[in-house]
Amino acid sequence: MEPLIKVRDLYKIFNIGSNKVYALNGVSFDIYRGEFIAIVGTSGSGKSTCLNMLAGLEAPSSGVIQIAGKRIDKMNEAQLVRFRRQNVGFIFQSYNLIPSMNAVENVAMPLMFRGIDYESRMKSARKYMELIGIGDQGLHMPNQMSGGQQQRVGIARALVIDPKIIFADEPTGNLDSHTTDDVLNLMKKIVSEENRTLVMVTHDPHIASWADRQLKVVDGHIVETIINETSPIETLIKKETGDAPFCNVTPIE
Amino acid sequence: MRLSDLFTLAFNNLRRRKTRTFLTILGVVIGTASIVVMVSLGLGMSQMMLKSFQSEGSLTIIRVYESYENRENNSKNKAQYELTDENIDMFSSLDHVISVSPSIEVNVSAKCNGYDGSFTICGVSQYYLSQLSLREGGTIPKNDQGQLSLIYGNQILYNSFYKPSSYDSIDVDPDKDTIFITFPQSSYTEKTNKTADESTVSKPVKKYIFPVTGIIAGGKEDWSSNSYNAYADIDTLKRFLRKLYKKALVPNPRTNKNGKAYNYYVYDTAYVFVDSMDNVKEVQNTISDLGFNVSSNMEWLESAQQSLNMVQMVLGGIGGVSLLVAAIGIMNTMMMSIYERTKEIGVMKVLGCDMADIKNMFLFESGIIGLMGGIAGLMVSYLISYIINFFTSSGSNDTVSMFIGYNDGGSLSYIPPWLAVFAIIFAIAVGSIAGYLPAVRAMKLSPLAAIRNE
Ligand SMILES: Nc1ncnc2c1ncn2[C@@H]1O[C@H](COP(=O)(O)OP(=O)(O)OP(=O)(O)O)[C@@H](O)[C@H]1O
Ligand SMILES: [Mg+2]
Repeated sequence: MEPLIKVRDLYKIFNIGSNKVYALNGVSFDIYRGEFIAIVGTSGSGKSTCLNMLAGLEAPSSGVIQIAGKRIDKMNEAQLVRFRRQNVGFIFQSYNLIPSMNAVENVAMPLMFRGIDYESRMKSARKYMELIGIGDQGLHMPNQMSGGQQQRVGIARALVIDPKIIFADEPTGNLDSHTTDDVLNLMKKIVSEENRTLVMVTHDPHIASWADRQLKVVDGHIVETIINETSPIETLIKKETGDAPFCNVTPIE
Repeated sequence: MRLSDLFTLAFNNLRRRKTRTFLTILGVVIGTASIVVMVSLGLGMSQMMLKSFQSEGSLTIIRVYESYENRENNSKNKAQYELTDENIDMFSSLDHVISVSPSIEVNVSAKCNGYDGSFTICGVSQYYLSQLSLREGGTIPKNDQGQLSLIYGNQILYNSFYKPSSYDSIDVDPDKDTIFITFPQSSYTEKTNKTADESTVSKPVKKYIFPVTGIIAGGKEDWSSNSYNAYADIDTLKRFLRKLYKKALVPNPRTNKNGKAYNYYVYDTAYVFVDSMDNVKEVQNTISDLGFNVSSNMEWLESAQQSLNMVQMVLGGIGGVSLLVAAIGIMNTMMMSIYERTKEIGVMKVLGCDMADIKNMFLFESGIIGLMGGIAGLMVSYLISYIINFFTSSGSNDTVSMFIGYNDGGSLSYIPPWLAVFAIIFAIAVGSIAGYLPAVRAMKLSPLAAIRNE
């Protein structure tokens, strides 16, 4: 069993004036297919930076990122866009639906970028909206929907391209606790049922505890990794590889 | 991404901001309309001018006269500068010359139904006659006949016969009315029989009736350089004149040093037919260098067109400035739109939209602005053109031709199809060029804009 994502010695250094900010300070870990990973940490710890680099939205200062056998740290912007189009779904904190399109068109949008014709992409979009439980809201415009409904549309949009990996940065950040539970339930269900890989960023330890595995980040280091022992995928990985997934932990001194 | 999807996206984005899109398009409408109207004015003027020159006579004919200086000087080889048959043949052998027609001109007086008239009978070549446009049913006189026959210019029928007392003019119909023609007395008398001459003068002047083979095309209101003359075949006319004037050949012949009339023809005018308008100038210069006076409608046309070109450039420039302003308007609109949509563009990039697609989407938007502005601007131009022509045209009530700006009299504003097509393409091009910079900027926006929360 090969890891889907391999990260080695990843650094991200921001130069602010003459100051250097080590947003990410040499992290190394593996992620396997089917895992639901939570990157958790306090504000400013570097979680988002890490996720953005995995998704190819930001270039690392140094280090290796390999996804599905491809070195994405070596890709240029056009290649990265294509890589995302083919492999990556993204769920945003503020949903980011296109206001001029109705729900089903929003869901179908990533397929449009692939050049798929209107009829077939609408069909796929409706299928995923059914799956998420918002099949009846296809014609609603984003500004006619609640935050929870919008985020469901966002999840359907991330799923519609049948991605290898889904990234989510604080997907429940703008939702109340009840809706948060609904959405997390939904995501967890899809990950396990459809065998997807989900990498989620959150600052909330409670939300992070939904994941199969948590990577705890402090000041750009992974300081702890927590594996949910009841998770079937983790059991499977352990059985197949004989060990827990690789993660270089630097405990706080 | 599919072209149709790009187009729909661009179109929906424009629809989202109706007022702003409308105002930007309005700028293009004004720009396009001012260019088209300005150019149409220039074209209309030049077309009117060309028409008026053409109605004066063909643009490919050069008229050749004997130069005045050469006529005055009495050098030995005077004949070199006279319009003799040799020189006519020489003109014919020049490059680009199709044919040369000498012309013998005789001023005659005429009477019809008690009205007096006078006009010139021009004896010209068969080629010249064949170039005349006649009224339906007319034919040209045959070459070298025993009987002289004539083609009448259309204005002879309407404006040449007067009642001597009142100067009332009448219309003449050569089919019904008989026109009696008298030829002028010879200005030449042979010195030898001066005494016998007295008796010839007192002889009653003979009146002739000639068959009419055709009338120059055109009605009472049409004028051309051929309208006031009658035309005959030159050889038939020569034959006829020889009978009348004997050795003198023509009514007022030239004489040599001994006071004798020339025994060869010296023509008043020669008409040189050139194969195309472009070669007129060259042939004209050649003949002029040989020592003849030349004139053609082409040279007037050229100098008139040169000054008109200036006017056209100024008019086009004025239109161009307003389109430039419209282009800046498009650019401004696109920049604002990109600024507002930074996040949306970021989301698209995160979700895998190609950079080229993003660029094209914005280019489409500005292109659509150009296209719509171009079409609307063109419609406005047709309207303005119609209004201009409505107020400047005098007689014609032909609405359709006035609308397109094309009628016989010519119109001040003329929009040919190529100008219409050009205007729309130009408007699209202006839109796309103005949108290019903003589109590239949109393409280069960072996808991280989508992640940030504000
Ligand atoms: N574009 C940038 N330029 C300069 N510094 C940056 C930039 N982006 C992030 N940083 C810095 O990197 C560090 C990590 O930022 P990051 O956004 O990853 O934090 P985070 O863990 O996502 O926090 P939050 O929970 O508030 O989103 C911060 O100290 C931040 O100031
Ligand atoms: Mg963050």
